[in-house]
Amino acid sequence: MWLERMRFPLMVLAVLALLLANACLPKSPSEGGGINITLYGFSIMKESLEKAIYPAFSAKWKQEHGVDVRFTSSFAGSETVTNQILQGVKAQIAILSIERDAQRLKQGGFITSDWHALPQKGIVNKTPFVILVRKGNPKGIHDFNDLAKPGIRLIHPDPISSGGAQWSILAIYGSELKKSEKETGGADHARALQILQAIWHNVFSTPASAREARTTFELGNGDALVTYELDALLMKQGNSKVDAEIVIPEATIFSEHPTVVIDRNVPPSDRPVIDAFMQYLWSEEAQRAFVKYNFRSSTNDGLNQENKELATIKYPFTVDYFGGWDKAYPEVIEGVFRDLVQKRK
Amino acid sequence: MVKVSAVRHVRGFDVARPLSISVMLAIMLPLVILPLLSIFLYGTKNGLGSFWSALIAPEAIFALKLSMATSFWATVFNVIFGLFAAYVLSRYDFYGRNAVIVTISLPTAIPTAVAGFALLLLWGPNATLGRLLNMQGFQLMFTPYAIILANIFVTFPLAFGVIKPVFDTMSRSLEEASATIGATRWQTFWYVTLPNLRGAIVGGALLTFARAVGEFGSTILVSGNLAGHTQTAPLYIFAKFNEGQIEAANAIAIVLALLSFVIFSVLFFARDWLEFEAQEV
Repeated sequence: MWLERMRFPLMVLAVLALLLANACLPKSPSEGGGINITLYGFSIMKESLEKAIYPAFSAKWKQEHGVDVRFTSSFAGSETVTNQILQGVKAQIAILSIERDAQRLKQGGFITSDWHALPQKGIVNKTPFVILVRKGNPKGIHDFNDLAKPGIRLIHPDPISSGGAQWSILAIYGSELKKSEKETGGADHARALQILQAIWHNVFSTPASAREARTTFELGNGDALVTYELDALLMKQGNSKVDAEIVIPEATIFSEHPTVVIDRNVPPSDRPVIDAFMQYLWSEEAQRAFVKYNFRSSTNDGLNQENKELATIKYPFTVDYFGGWDKAYPEVIEGVFRDLVQKRK
Repeated sequence: MVKVSAVRHVRGFDVARPLSISVMLAIMLPLVILPLLSIFLYGTKNGLGSFWSALIAPEAIFALKLSMATSFWATVFNVIFGLFAAYVLSRYDFYGRNAVIVTISLPTAIPTAVAGFALLLLWGPNATLGRLLNMQGFQLMFTPYAIILANIFVTFPLAFGVIKPVFDTMSRSLEEASATIGATRWQTFWYVTLPNLRGAIVGGALLTFARAVGEFGSTILVSGNLAGHTQTAPLYIFAKFNEGQIEAANAIAIVLALLSFVIFSVLFFARDWLEFEAQEV
């Protein structure tokens, strides 16, 4: 019975083999010569960056300077990304969903430059908020206030971790204010609050990011989802069989996405390429690429004509309608949503 | 009842046997078997070709390797520590001994996310120990080492929990005999005590490894989740799920499911002969 006798040595050999196979931490595929840029983005930035912006910029830099530029990136809810950077993640550039997150990074001492000095005050692109419903619109949802009807089952990202969720709240609330203004001449805050409360009552799932919410919806959960127009279009383009169609509200918000350099994590040697990349984001080529991936250009509205899928909004508005994020966050997200909608639930 | 058992004895057929087996399987089916099966079905839905290409994506391979390596080191540490702690705690009685045993077992019940931010609070850039490290120009959080630390924390009690009872119930007469014929303490441990623990060590190691490979809650907080840098296999699955690439998520999920299947099969079959060999010694 040689096998009997060999058992222990074989075992030792197997363990040693396991040791050799596992002991080394794997080498990153992107390590090696050249420059690496680390970018953290909010959840829906992934496709346009990885498929268009990164390759185009790398090719451009290679051609001009003969050096390879690689990108490493991570995508999550805007608030999550911001918290990760505050905790010490070595991001060099962040594309965020909401201006407030950029301000938090500045207060933390991570940003020392002024992103408002960048083109378009640092806003790299924008997109309106729309409603996704099931095919054929069985619940008859035609505007935000229809989401307040009893019996509608809603997915809504969590405003604690997701910037998209905060835009959605501003979209719903602002849309009611806008419409009441058009109808009666004065903004009806009570009506807007009532609609928001009724809508929140219908929410049964609060995923951590807009993209996670979309995946949950895509898997067949819920009757409706408020999300970025861009992400709704990406979903339909990526999966033609998906059980969803887009409803364009009469009045809705355009979310505007600031891009910031995390100065603390940029060594002087990387400065030139980071600055060049930042300028590139507002170039016509990059803006055109964003439009191709269903964003709207922040520099030139004319470019938006190139994407026929982009809808026309009757009464569009931006966060400026609330007096900017400095006012919108404390007054609407905290004052209305957190204190009057969530607390009562 | 009496009649039934009489029939059973006469016919040699026990009705309870097929009945209880099928009830057991019927309960397992919707709770465990079908969910696992749906991963396999969904992952290969678009054919084996797309399953394979999802599997060999560089970031997927990296994530799997990173999971293996970080779990491996956590296992090495926890087995050695578990062995040591089990030895100390079963051989020596001291004040606070029970408190130590309870403390070692605590990570089982603590939510893994709590483990994650506990590490951040200790090692983060604004934290006590983290600041010390930062001054040396070294960052621990958001590196693979943070993942190892998190794995060590959440699997801390497992190897210990398997090894300690064996220590407790082990007959000490062999050790005493070994000591009387002049063996040093170290020789006794190496030639007498350790062979008795072989089964427990292998079992504890596999259990620790299996649990560490699947760890998610603490890793997502301390790793930074950078694809190709600090993204482990479970984080990769979660990221792909969030992106809506459910096939890619499933491909890696299948690998992890198969891995645990192998680990627990080894555990099951190896235990027998390991214990048998131990008795022979």
